[in-house]
Amino acid sequence: MDAAIEISGLHAAYDKADVLIDVSLTVAPGTITCLLGSNGAGKTTLIRAILGLTPPRAGSVKVFGAEVTGEATHRVIARGVACIPEGRRMFPKLTVAENLRLGAYQEPSEAEIKRRLAEVYDTFPRLAERRNQLAGTMSGGEQAMVSIGRGLMGKPRLLIVDEPSLGLSPLYVKENFRIIEGIRARGITVFLVEQNVHQTLAIADAGYVLSGGRVVAGGTAAELKSNAEFHAAYFG
Amino acid sequence: MDLFGQYVVNGLMLGTVYALVAVGFTLFFGVLDVIKFSHGDVLMVGAFTGFTAASGAAALGFSHPLAQLAATVVFALAGTAALGAAIARWLILPLKSAPRLNILLATLMLGTALRESVRLFYPDGSNPKAFPALLPTSSWQWGQFTLRADSSILVVTGVLVIVGLHLLINRTRLGLAIRAVAQDEETARTMGINYTLIVLVTFALGSSIAAVAGVMNGLYYNEINFGMGLLLGLIGFSAAIIGGLGNLYGAILGGFLFAALQMIGAVAMPFASAYKDVFAFAVVIALMAWKPTGLIPERASDRV
Ligand SMILES: Nc1ncnc2c1ncn2[C@@H]1O[C@H](COP(=O)(O)OP(=O)(O)OP(=O)(O)O)[C@@H](O)[C@H]1O
Ligand SMILES: [Mg+2]
Repeated sequence: MDAAIEISGLHAAYDKADVLIDVSLTVAPGTITCLLGSNGAGKTTLIRAILGLTPPRAGSVKVFGAEVTGEATHRVIARGVACIPEGRRMFPKLTVAENLRLGAYQEPSEAEIKRRLAEVYDTFPRLAERRNQLAGTMSGGEQAMVSIGRGLMGKPRLLIVDEPSLGLSPLYVKENFRIIEGIRARGITVFLVEQNVHQTLAIADAGYVLSGGRVVAGGTAAELKSNAEFHAAYFG
Repeated sequence: MDLFGQYVVNGLMLGTVYALVAVGFTLFFGVLDVIKFSHGDVLMVGAFTGFTAASGAAALGFSHPLAQLAATVVFALAGTAALGAAIARWLILPLKSAPRLNILLATLMLGTALRESVRLFYPDGSNPKAFPALLPTSSWQWGQFTLRADSSILVVTGVLVIVGLHLLINRTRLGLAIRAVAQDEETARTMGINYTLIVLVTFALGSSIAAVAGVMNGLYYNEINFGMGLLLGLIGFSAAIIGGLGNLYGAILGGFLFAALQMIGAVAMPFASAYKDVFAFAVVIALMAWKPTGLIPERASDRV
């Protein structure tokens, strides 16, 4: 079975500064694979490179066995990928329901969209109550729900999540991790970017550590927990 | 009273035309944050395309005005849609990361090139063309007030186009994608929206709406000329600005407001009616000083 994500020798940069240097990693299907790393390590840039938002300078990205390097973002999404972006990125002046619908933008069947909407409202009853509220006026925690729901609306095979617990209260963070475990239970591969090391490793199957734009450690969650290099990279 | 009635009909007609031009500015600004200065000249190209199609249909033996009208509308809309998409694809998108002023200048120059091309290369292009009267010329009489069928058809058509655009933007999947791109390009792409396609479609849409305005103008005055886009473009831009750029309903309001100002300038002011544009623009400048962000400031859900 093809890896959900296979990255090899990836280099990425913004105007001048090199941000990712020779990054290689694999996300096995059906797993939660995490990417840990401190602020500015290049985690978000790696996601942008996968999605074609920041085309890489060199190297290759494969999604479910297909080469996607340099492909337009909507084509990558069409391969069964969805992303819950950093900072949630609501469309603030669209309603909750419209935000959710955009998650299923590539789904042509209205009946199927309705079915998925019902499923999301089932998971987050609060969103059902507020479906006609403008997303920008929702609380931070509620926006997190919209963002997760929007990611699920695309019925992805691979869900990429960038720091979902950022800015949430401990209670919401715990809830978030529970939801992500539930997503894996539905057979969706999850590539999870996090800084919350302990809670992340508790649910992840495998992971990598990014530091200064390089992969400095990788392995199963159990290996990472006991890896000295990882501790050095992560806790300084 | 009779004269007043004629002014109202005339004002409604002009307001509709201005609103149709203004919504284009607003759509383009919405999806790309750019001012496309060639918009008025694209309108002029639309009017000339329609005129050519009508003449062509007549030359081919389609003598019925409705056949000629159909040819006018189809060719004007299709031609400007293609032109608008081409401008977006080869001029505006490549300049996307350049300073905004560069895009403004580039489209200003493109507008001049379009205008000069029609003047130089269209047969006898430097002279006004007599636009054929393709609409029924019957009229209704109430006392001294005459309502002409052609004016009524034009106003109703324009209003229907505006309502159609409103429904398209708010009720369809394409409209949702346009609004998403307008609010956050990158997240829209992350949702799987084909960004380039949406930009091209938006430019095609805005340009063909301008062609509707150009053809309406031709049918109403029975005349078009290579420079007609200059003033109409400027008025449409002003209307979009006083309405609050990026706001669809503000642009429509701005269009009708400008027409109302022209009518007031022509009728109710103690100077000759030839000064009506001076009056209208002066009021617009005053309005801009009073409400710099437009009469309807950008607000909930109404960026495009
Ligand atoms: N658009 C940009 N232009 C220039 N430099 C950028 C841009 N975006 C990010 N960078 C730089 O690239 C580096 C990596 O940024 P990135 O956002 O990938 O980090 P991150 O690991 O996601 O950090 P965080 O945990 O804080 O989100 C940083 O030094 C950042 O300043
Ligand atoms: Mg980040």
